[in-house]
Amino acid sequence: MTHSRWYRVGIGLVVIALSTTACGGTASPPPSASAGAAATAPQPLDVIKWETPLSFGGVTVNVVGDAGHNLKPYEFWKDDFTKAGITIKITEVPFEGVYEKLKTEFVAGTGAFDVVTFYPAYIGDYASNGYLEPLDGYLTKEPAAVWGANQDDVLPPFRELYNKWAGKTYALTIDGDVHVMIYRKDLFENADEQAAYKAKFGTELRPPETWADWLQVGSFFTRKKGEKLAGQTLDHDFYGSAEFAKRGFSFAWFVDRWASSGQVYFDDQMTPQINTPEAVAGLQNFVDSLKNAPPDVRAYGYDELRDALLKGNVAMVVQWTDVPKKGADPTQSSVAGKLAVGRVPGTLINGQVVHRAMMPVGRVVAVAADSKNKDAAYWVAKHIAYDRSLEDVSTSLTGLDPYRTTHLEHPEAYTMFADKAAAETYLGGLKAALADGFPEIFIPGAAQYEDVLDLHVNKALAGEETPQQALDTVAAEWQKITDSLGRDKQIELWRSALAGYRALGLIK
Amino acid sequence: MAQRLACGRLPGLGRPSPIRPRFLPLLLVLPTFIVLLAITIFPLLYTATLTVFSWELTTKASAQFVALGNFGRILFEDGRFWNAMRNTTLLVVVGVGLQVILGTGLALLVNRLRRGRTLIVSLILIPVMIAPVVAGFQFRMIYNDQFGPLNDIIQFLTGGLWRGIAWLADPSVALIAILIADVWQWTPFMILIVLAGLQAIPDELHEAARVDGASARQQVWHISLPLVLPVIVVGILVRMMDTFKLFDIVYQLTAGGPGSTTETIAYYTYLQGFKFFSLGYTAAMAVIQLIVITIVAKIFLGYQKRMQRRGSL
Repeated sequence: MTHSRWYRVGIGLVVIALSTTACGGTASPPPSASAGAAATAPQPLDVIKWETPLSFGGVTVNVVGDAGHNLKPYEFWKDDFTKAGITIKITEVPFEGVYEKLKTEFVAGTGAFDVVTFYPAYIGDYASNGYLEPLDGYLTKEPAAVWGANQDDVLPPFRELYNKWAGKTYALTIDGDVHVMIYRKDLFENADEQAAYKAKFGTELRPPETWADWLQVGSFFTRKKGEKLAGQTLDHDFYGSAEFAKRGFSFAWFVDRWASSGQVYFDDQMTPQINTPEAVAGLQNFVDSLKNAPPDVRAYGYDELRDALLKGNVAMVVQWTDVPKKGADPTQSSVAGKLAVGRVPGTLINGQVVHRAMMPVGRVVAVAADSKNKDAAYWVAKHIAYDRSLEDVSTSLTGLDPYRTTHLEHPEAYTMFADKAAAETYLGGLKAALADGFPEIFIPGAAQYEDVLDLHVNKALAGEETPQQALDTVAAEWQKITDSLGRDKQIELWRSALAGYRALGLIK
Repeated sequence: MAQRLACGRLPGLGRPSPIRPRFLPLLLVLPTFIVLLAITIFPLLYTATLTVFSWELTTKASAQFVALGNFGRILFEDGRFWNAMRNTTLLVVVGVGLQVILGTGLALLVNRLRRGRTLIVSLILIPVMIAPVVAGFQFRMIYNDQFGPLNDIIQFLTGGLWRGIAWLADPSVALIAILIADVWQWTPFMILIVLAGLQAIPDELHEAARVDGASARQQVWHISLPLVLPVIVVGILVRMMDTFKLFDIVYQLTAGGPGSTTETIAYYTYLQGFKFFSLGYTAAMAVIQLIVITIVAKIFLGYQKRMQRRGSL
């Protein structure tokens, strides 16, 4: 081949590489696009009674929330809003970008949004700075069938912690998040696997009770391609467990391991409790668990962790409670019917296993204080948070989780499960998880405290710091944050938050 | 007053202007000056003012004067700042270096094409036209261990002996993954500007060299590259300044992780400003970055000036 031919071929290859990557990149489906992508709405249920108000007269209500399946309800119930004379305009922001987007708009006073969706850990920040409209007046407005949100029906942790600040209601829960363990029951029930486990460890194969069990069971199920799993030869590597180990919310998977020791983030003087021997042991367990996880687990966020389980690549995960619903839906899961739900593993203390399940994220909707259409905005928020809430939490098209007594009392609504009994088992697991619930840091500065914790947990996972170094640094950084935000004020707010946690039974 | 203004005369026009000629230039630049004042100078001065305050928007507390305390904290106490600077420097030096080498090489090849050059240049430019955040998402899919094609291709090419790399999860590789994405997106920009430089070289120079018996390689080394060097320097400067601000791809691909291995200075500044709302501290970080970029730009522009004086241009 001549020189000129060679360079023509070279250029051709470069052009093809650049343009094909640009025009398509991958033929595989994106991990997050699958869930709830369908525009179809769930079947309306006639459980919660509500009435449409007189028309608001064609107002536009601007709604903001984290992008993806959790904004679907506004599409599902578009006709309801149209009947009420409301046009919904949605702004989607990235999952990790909610706080800064809202805060920026609030500080600038743009009035860009009427209904704001956010993670309740930020309620202290937003409400104490006057960015949110108090809702108590709306909640008692008549007629109740139009305006009432039946807050008594909301489970106490979500009602008291997620919705209130300084005794006033500022937000309505739309997503009751709590962690739960999800595992492949078909593997745990397999006779060959049970025999192999007993032969190896001398104990019965059971879903992990403690975090030490988590490591042992995880290592047992971790197999290479070509090895056998439940009698089948694996055509890909299989892993015992996986974690949310990407920056953002990885701290919550550490707190799952640490909180069962009975400790909380700070003592009542705001001295950090995050670098105790128990916390270091919890983080070490998290680090050790990565040995039983897929090699790219440090890049796993919600989507990747969910898909690892639903595509049959791992035996068990700790995840939010929407994942079992998606896992039961054969259109979204290749392990439908093979999953079971259990309590998040715990720590053995005085011969008893203490379980704590982190309640990270969650979602609430609130009315912006600078909204120009507050009545309509409240009705939209209430319609999602109450009127249509059973439909929204009982579908696998959203990632929203139950948060009302009503949601737990209607297993028949969860039609993705094989039968009512399976739905009841799911809801039973969810109730147990809620009883183990452990809160985030609900005071102003939560974003800073949690970011520093997440960064150093992640550094420990990446091997940049030892667990002791990581948590010592977190403790030191937390002290600096507290000083910069005003120690006395922070102590006062933290004591109030602690009292709330105790009253709700979230800390013992 | 009206009489005094009426004494001017616009050049080339017969009738007298109501404005004195010496005020006319000032008047003409005034709108631009006002716009610049509003969108550049005022924010710059405001940012400079903020640097001496501690202002935490998370609370209602008002700004506290801390003199140079923010700079002291950043430069002497904040390890995260220096880590981000280190990562950014690596991306700037290695990333831009690769873009220059690949961009120049490909531009030399494309420049030799006689037919289809316009079409090929248009295709090559596609990555530049894509929003960086979209490119970031695209690479997130490509690098994905479960769905991404890259590891599939590696496995295919190695006959299944090597399953590939955890591109975004391996602390020793994640920064390289970001670098690859950035090089992919911006190499075409270097191709474009080097190609423009090459096309400005008169054909006569190459013809004369050919007549004198110079080989193609000699023409590249002794004619094309020396003459296109000032353009390459400008390209390097533009890309360095841009890479110094690299944010979108990091945000999409790793959010700074694993650990802090891919946290760039732009991403860290974003966190301080828009996640923690520490306005004074963020302003001080921004000013430090401005100083660094200005020094780098001065060095490059000085080098270019020296080349011009030597008659390279």
